[in-house]
Amino acid sequence: MGVAVLGVGLSGFAPTSTGVSYREMIAHAAKRAYADAGITVDQIDGAVSVEEDLVSGYSIADEYTPDQLGVVRKPVYTIPGDFLHGIGSAVMQIRTGQFNVVVVEGYSKASNILSKDELLRFAFDPVFHRFGVSPHYLAGIEMRTFLTESDYEIEDVAEVVVKNRARALANPVAPYGDRFAIADVLDARMVAYPVTELMFPRHADGAVVVVLGTDAIARECARKPVYISGTGWGSGNSILERRDHGRSVGTEIAAAAAYQEAGIGDPTADVDAFFVSDLYAHRELMHLEALNAYDAPPEIVNPDGGCLGTGDLFEANGGARFVAAVQQLRGEAGASQLPVKRALVQGWRGLPTDSCAVAILDAERRAK
Amino acid sequence: MSRVAVIGAGMTKFVRRAQDSSGELAAQAVRMALDDAGMDIGEIDAVCLGTAPDAFDGVHMKGEHLIAGAGGTRKPYMRHYVGGGTGVMSPIHGWMHVASGKFRTCLVVTEEKMSPCNPHPAGAFLTIFDRLTEQPLELTLIHIFALEMARLMHVYGYTEEEIASISVAHKRNAIDHPAAQLGENLTVADVMNSTLLSWPVKRLDISPTSDGAVAIVLSNERIARAKKPAPVFIEGVGYRLDTAYWCTRDLAYPNYVALAAQDAYKMAGVDNPTKQIDIWEPYDPFDYKALHHMNALCLDKTGKTVRQLFDSGAFDRATGSHPMCPSGGALGVGNPIAATGLMKIAELYFQLSGQAGKRQIPHTVRRGVAQAWGDLMQVGTVVVMGAEGAPPTFRSAWSTMTKAGLGATPIRDVDKVPSVADAPDLRYLWDNGFALTTYLDGLKKGKLRGSLDKRTGRMMIPPRSFQELSDLDPVTDYFDLPDTGTVKTYTLSHVNWDSSILPDGRINVFAVIAIDGAGEDMGLVHLLGDVDPKDVAIGMRVKAVWKPAEERTGSILDIRHFAPIKGKEKGKLAITPVKPVEINAATAQAKAGKIPLTYKYTAGIAGTKFYKDLAAGKLTGTYAPAVDAVLVPPAMFDEHAMELLDPEKNARALDPNSGVIESFTIVFEDRQGELLDDPATIVQVRFPGTIGSVFGRLEAKVGAEFGEGTPVKLAKRRKITGPDEVVFQLK
Repeated sequence: MGVAVLGVGLSGFAPTSTGVSYREMIAHAAKRAYADAGITVDQIDGAVSVEEDLVSGYSIADEYTPDQLGVVRKPVYTIPGDFLHGIGSAVMQIRTGQFNVVVVEGYSKASNILSKDELLRFAFDPVFHRFGVSPHYLAGIEMRTFLTESDYEIEDVAEVVVKNRARALANPVAPYGDRFAIADVLDARMVAYPVTELMFPRHADGAVVVVLGTDAIARECARKPVYISGTGWGSGNSILERRDHGRSVGTEIAAAAAYQEAGIGDPTADVDAFFVSDLYAHRELMHLEALNAYDAPPEIVNPDGGCLGTGDLFEANGGARFVAAVQQLRGEAGASQLPVKRALVQGWRGLPTDSCAVAILDAERRAK
Repeated sequence: MSRVAVIGAGMTKFVRRAQDSSGELAAQAVRMALDDAGMDIGEIDAVCLGTAPDAFDGVHMKGEHLIAGAGGTRKPYMRHYVGGGTGVMSPIHGWMHVASGKFRTCLVVTEEKMSPCNPHPAGAFLTIFDRLTEQPLELTLIHIFALEMARLMHVYGYTEEEIASISVAHKRNAIDHPAAQLGENLTVADVMNSTLLSWPVKRLDISPTSDGAVAIVLSNERIARAKKPAPVFIEGVGYRLDTAYWCTRDLAYPNYVALAAQDAYKMAGVDNPTKQIDIWEPYDPFDYKALHHMNALCLDKTGKTVRQLFDSGAFDRATGSHPMCPSGGALGVGNPIAATGLMKIAELYFQLSGQAGKRQIPHTVRRGVAQAWGDLMQVGTVVVMGAEGAPPTFRSAWSTMTKAGLGATPIRDVDKVPSVADAPDLRYLWDNGFALTTYLDGLKKGKLRGSLDKRTGRMMIPPRSFQELSDLDPVTDYFDLPDTGTVKTYTLSHVNWDSSILPDGRINVFAVIAIDGAGEDMGLVHLLGDVDPKDVAIGMRVKAVWKPAEERTGSILDIRHFAPIKGKEKGKLAITPVKPVEINAATAQAKAGKIPLTYKYTAGIAGTKFYKDLAAGKLTGTYAPAVDAVLVPPAMFDEHAMELLDPEKNARALDPNSGVIESFTIVFEDRQGELLDDPATIVQVRFPGTIGSVFGRLEAKVGAEFGEGTPVKLAKRRKITGPDEVVFQLK
């Protein structure tokens, strides 16, 4: 059964969103998505919220998901993963044949978290990895390993930052567009050698809502449907001592499944735009390696500016990339527009994980 | 749609406190489930994990932490979550994996380790409540359970003694369950005489806090028939999530559970559940909840069906027509939240395949239903499972299983084993938003405010800027409402938010109050005062008692409490339109919050070996036969083969002076992002002939040169308090 993107909606993105509650922000994104999809709330069969406890400041954060999506008393559950994990789960849901329209939602109120590093540190194993220092230490270990094991140099990492921050200048929803030189990135304040403060994004507030449905519903309702032709997700070793920090096994597993479903043999030739996680700049390169798309021209990688440009939105990160891909496929990407018929979106859960997901999107439904 | 079968189950013992780490608990359940299914981990296409709040185990992004233990290494792995309803959502999410045709097999794992959480695991529930309108009242889950139980008793007429008999029955059933934490023969009097926590809830009405894990293997029909002589199929699934505004529903009947059950029954072709279902495993974290959920599972809001079954002894496992919680349920087996729900699914699998041993229901059983519940009285998850005619008694490892056959090492005192303490400093400042800014402004002025959805005539308190029940319609009209209302349900509480007993015999009376002008289905929760607790009653008329204007800050605590209205009420209720607060830089406010919990983590079976060795100046690895290699640091399971290991018996001595730096970083910020006075060096160190590494700090003189490949030695430490004490020195 084919699954399509019926509509997308955003609210944000900005460093702060004072005066707007998370509920109001999500409701705004939902209304936009439903309008874009050409559906009313009563057509929705279920929803997947993508969020993690404590990012929202709540334990059992899933309690606070249905109201602002208008899905009270409907089938709703939460995926604590990247937005793309939520997409993967929703696609499975529709493919059981029991659901026609499923909504996926993720958001960030990062500005409301006063102790973000402490929260990230709380995700580390308390017995072996929760040191009394910044949790970015693992990014330092990882970047160092990646540079040692690969042919990339630290300047290549800095180039990712320069590219994505500049790209964001053309993205009207990205708050962190700017012009930097490679030297600016390398000489910036050191956080966890070799990671400087410009090598990872600042946070942003924002909400993303995506409406998925069967191809049949898409043709009936949606203004401009986009088709999902492959999904995959995977996780590397969570035991950091036995993980290869120089590669993203999670992405390799996710990509293999998505490529198989979409019938992609040569990703660089078959895919017109890549949206990949750049939560640390070296990860953009590492993920492209894992996607077997290391030779993709830089201009087709994160044309929206990536996380470095739009900000770190926690679980909604993959959602921001997903929406940017949909806009490209619809020809609605404005100054960022590329000739795109097929796009790949990759999401990473962030440190301390190697949990990743991939979705392949097509402008038209293709025969395999 | 592919048919989906349960073809294997595994679990640990459920215990109050396990020495095993979270991952080690999960790994033991996984190994058993794989063995029961006759599979190795290589035959598993995907893994999905259910676990409840991060705040219990004390690890943010807990699902990521559990990947290795759950068998998810290098696999498609995903965690799902619906609070206390997670355990029955887990097989539903697993069902999606297989029914969608995307995967042939799916390993479903659930785990909860509640014991690390201090001052008490129940303290984690403080932050499940709305941070602006409820958390300041310092509520905990016992309070809303008690509010619900009182409402159930009021509407359906159950007595405390009748409800206590459920606890007695479930704990008795659990005597025969190998994982059981609290299987015992009690009397109704024992329950009635146990410590009163929050009337009507007493200590023995409640399931315990527990550590434990459960896993099952799901497969498509083809594999199931190849692996099992009589597979048990998932016939129907349903899950529904109600509004977070929990005071807006009648707590007596869980509509959301009934809707979930209807979905599951429809898929399973069940149109008369009381006739077509042979085994019932409703979620029973409190004894009344079994009855509460059975009303919904029987789709009977009148409650007559369940009352009749209850009165006729139909729920008895040995003699009843509708055996309920033959496992012993959460009350008897224990309640490691997500694992409890999956334990119920495992029980249906055991019963329907004739493997339940002493617990086997004596008559033929073909179909069962399991259900879980959670969040803010809000979510129902339901699975219907069916057999095709299993042999009445099928002897298997499970039919003769004893406690000794299950994993988990119970301990009494965390301080008697190597452990690591941590106090995460998690602080927030929450944007109140448009609607609640106007609400809080009203409180400061001594007014209760609501907003009106003109399309439906629904006056909402606290106000919303959109109508959550009808297409997210915008809501723009705000009103000052009367500060009077009617008590819908109440509890007389003797406990604090952290489950400690209130001092000096103090009693807090919490009530759900339907506010006048906002309708019967629009309550708010608050304290009652100026009343003798024994005089409190459902239906009592009450009025807000406000703090003096100069003490009010724009908080729900601006109302000291609600007090009974004495004498005859006069005058008409005033509902006055008000202009909502305009949001600008001066009015937009945020509410401070924090997570008030600390943790003490056992080092786990493998971590204990590591830290004990370290204190002795030694280092060992663990030999893993499946990969024919030594794992570092020590391990109690091999995360690739999911074989269980013994870090003592399989120990291989390593030279702590033989380390080589694999990777390193120099860190300039502390855990809160503040600049460190002295940068710290963290190194990843490999030891020759092993798979793995050790992370630690590097102690080196200023200006000392090091890098990848530099030899280092592991320093002996007398007192081990955690990773910061793992220190390497240049050789």
